[in-house]
Amino acid sequence: MLEKTGVPTQSEIESVFPSDERLSKGPVAVIECFQSIPCDPCATACPRGAILPFADINDRPVIDNDKCNGCILCMTKCPGLAIMVVDITWSQDRALIKMPYEFRPLPDVGQTVQALDREGTVVAEAEVIRVQYNKSMNKVPIVSIAVDKQLVKTIRNIRTICDTPTTATHTAIQEEAQDTGIVCRCNDLQLAEIRALIAKGYTTIAELKQMARLGMGPCQGRNCLPVVVNELSRALGVPVAELPVGSFRPMVKSIYLGDLAGYEEQGEN
Amino acid sequence: MIHIDLLIVGAGPAGLMAAKEAGTAGANVLLLERSHVPGGQLVKQTHMFFGSEEQYASYRGFDISEILLDEIKKLPNVKLALNATALAVYDDGIWAAEMDGASYTKILPKAVIIATGAGEKSLAFPGNDLPGVYGAGAVQTLMNQYGIKPANRVVMLGAGNIGLIVSYQLLQAGVEVLAVCDGSPRIGGYLVHAAKLRRMGVPILTSHSVKQAAGQGRLETVVLWELDKAWQGIPGTEKVYRADVLCVAVGLSPLSELLRQAGCEMVYVNTLGGYVPYRDSFLATSRENIFVAGDVAGIEEASSAMVEGRLAGLSAAKFLGLSTPDFNAKRNDCMTQLESLRSGHAGERILSGLAQAVIGS
Repeated sequence: MLEKTGVPTQSEIESVFPSDERLSKGPVAVIECFQSIPCDPCATACPRGAILPFADINDRPVIDNDKCNGCILCMTKCPGLAIMVVDITWSQDRALIKMPYEFRPLPDVGQTVQALDREGTVVAEAEVIRVQYNKSMNKVPIVSIAVDKQLVKTIRNIRTICDTPTTATHTAIQEEAQDTGIVCRCNDLQLAEIRALIAKGYTTIAELKQMARLGMGPCQGRNCLPVVVNELSRALGVPVAELPVGSFRPMVKSIYLGDLAGYEEQGEN
Repeated sequence: MIHIDLLIVGAGPAGLMAAKEAGTAGANVLLLERSHVPGGQLVKQTHMFFGSEEQYASYRGFDISEILLDEIKKLPNVKLALNATALAVYDDGIWAAEMDGASYTKILPKAVIIATGAGEKSLAFPGNDLPGVYGAGAVQTLMNQYGIKPANRVVMLGAGNIGLIVSYQLLQAGVEVLAVCDGSPRIGGYLVHAAKLRRMGVPILTSHSVKQAAGQGRLETVVLWELDKAWQGIPGTEKVYRADVLCVAVGLSPLSELLRQAGCEMVYVNTLGGYVPYRDSFLATSRENIFVAGDVAGIEEASSAMVEGRLAGLSAAKFLGLSTPDFNAKRNDCMTQLESLRSGHAGERILSGLAQAVIGS
């Protein structure tokens, strides 16, 4: 589901949250890193060894919640901004959440901001308690907010400037039947024109060059060829790797004839 | 004519690492970069990198570029030429380049490393030539490198890492991202990137693609629709967005023309992004003095490109007879890092692609 939506499910969130017992003992990091990717700075960042050493760089972080004291070092090192620190002992009714926040302006201490869930929906208001940002923090500001304790597993973001996001409409627009999309910008060739040429039997890059100047403009095929080889492959039922390759001649970009004409052998240097 | 030990084409993550490694081994290196700034795509990567310490994980791309450049500057035998584009390679082994954006120059190198990177793939759909339909990488350059707000309301086509990362950076720049869609039924990029977008309220529509872009003289409307299992649009499922930019992030294609001109044997490998050179595990192509590194050898993350750059630098130095005593240790370290970066779920596609492109060793 996460792979389709980008939003972790409730059970995925529960799987990385410390136990209620641990939460009741004070600040602790929560790492929402659900995918095996080649990345390990969190493990090497922790001065207490609370994030267990990786056997393989693709390991997912495993945290020893008893060693973690909720310092923010791993948060400032995580390229995925996947870590937050929660402290449900912060006050009688409110929890403190520390999260990385890479937007400007940074909120002011005392400011009321919108608290968002993992889909960006506003679920509550939150008070900004602290804003940490100094040179040692890897250009990652950390914002601490106080929120209703009940929402500690729901809130994952803040918004300081309140605006209404735009959504899609369903207004019909004019269909332009002639336009199938440009494939070769240099020589103004439409996808339909390329397909028509292929249907007529011009089925190599060399023939398409000769017929339509495909790939012979300033881009020298860098834009059009990746599209055209796939069109040829589809039309002929042959993998791209088995299609004959066109030729590539000097120069790779346009230069002035004057620069060539003005060239003089300078001798050894 | 410039005579040089090693010509490196492209000063991105792979080329910079290659120059550092070969330069450290003592090679006289000419590093060509077509842009006016070195670093390749690193300079516009404002997000923290994945990987581990050896590949500068947790650093932001533009900071990594500075770190690598500082290393290069310490090497007097490495010359970095900006506004310098490699144009051609001829049968006699002479390379041509446009230096300083204008003057045509010939170069005779003993060895060459091609680290030209990749270009953005395009997609054919009605209205795709309207102003406002751009590659996501181009929009990222405009925004992060030149500081220009590229749009007000964006639809992103592609939920791979580039689509997800650029969408997030658009939000950081104060641009509204109306939707991210992808033809595939699954999000292709890292799920932590997807989660960052979702909690900002951005919808991600899998099994969706663009039906049409429309507008009078420039993009005004984007129509998305749902795809069936055969990737065909389903009439009646259209969603219409009022957007001023549609970003196309449908993958990258290796910039391998110079390798083809040089006569390197090539193979089309879909999972590596297109035509890539056959190479051995140490990145030597079928032409004995030409090596490759980074996206031109197959599309991967920048972390792998840096390690490949280092490996190609070592291989080229060895070819030039400049092996250092710790050569084997360094090469083994590169091989171990690459193996580790490619060992997980995300690496399966890469490994299946490499199985078709890596020969002998």
